[in-house]
Amino acid sequence: MTKHEIDCEKALQQIFQFIDHELGGDEREAMQRHLHTCKSCFSRAEFERRLKGKVGELRQEQDAPEVVRSRVSRLLKTF
Amino acid sequence: MAISKEAFGKQVLALVGPLHGVARRLTGNDTDAEELVAETVARAWKALGSLESDAAFRAWIFRILHNTFIDERRRADARPQCESMDSEDPDETDAAFSIFEQMHQPFLLWFSNPEQEFLDRLLREDLERALATLPEHHRVVVILADLEEFNYREIADTLGVPVGTVRSRLARARGALQKLLWEQARAYGLRGEAATGAAEGRVAGVPCAKSGKEA
Repeated sequence: MTKHEIDCEKALQQIFQFIDHELGGDEREAMQRHLHTCKSCFSRAEFERRLKGKVGELRQEQDAPEVVRSRVSRLLKTF
Repeated sequence: MAISKEAFGKQVLALVGPLHGVARRLTGNDTDAEELVAETVARAWKALGSLESDAAFRAWIFRILHNTFIDERRRADARPQCESMDSEDPDETDAAFSIFEQMHQPFLLWFSNPEQEFLDRLLREDLERALATLPEHHRVVVILADLEEFNYREIADTLGVPVGTVRSRLARARGALQKLLWEQARAYGLRGEAATGAAEGRVAGVPCAKSGKEA
């Protein structure tokens, strides 16, 4: 194993950082290489990515309710 | 750093939706969320000198929102031992919990994928309920990471904790969220035959199966 290869244990430790785009260059590349060859970790990453996406869908493309926006606007005028 | 009153107002109005969204999920109701947002804006204006740069505005004002929420809750809660936003989850089993590990069947290959079926069946209301049930220190990191799409540095700045703490807390929070989803699914009988089979058919410690699948 070269220094840029990772095993399943390491891959699982970094799985959330990977799906959150928080791994740096070498670590990200090592993870991608691992996922190319490991079906189990690949499936795990896909599962976590999909679940993260579903949680993210809870964010409504919302503006604040008008009552809140109006209150904040009035508040800003007092500064 | 000093920014003009006009620039401050523009930034606030651009973020009032996300601020209210997070406030709504922290407080659990519209009335308290409105109060929290208003108090946050008032505090932010007074604390403008602590803003380091325009680029830091979002994490800065969300940090004020978060701190204001903690202050208000502590004030409202007479219990001296109330849950701390800074506390870590004592139940480490939640941190390690993974729906994937519960359901994945490494030898079923292409013709069955119970963990993906679980996601397919997952309803928005299931997720809403589980997220609302999470302890606050877990809920807030999931909201910031997955709903507001903050990076770890921004979450760290918002919560006033090191990036390493964000990393570990987010992993624990996601484990806890998955455990809640799993328990909900079992309670509602949604686990299904596939999951039962997965549990029975699991082979502990099975290493990765090789695949040519592209990531």
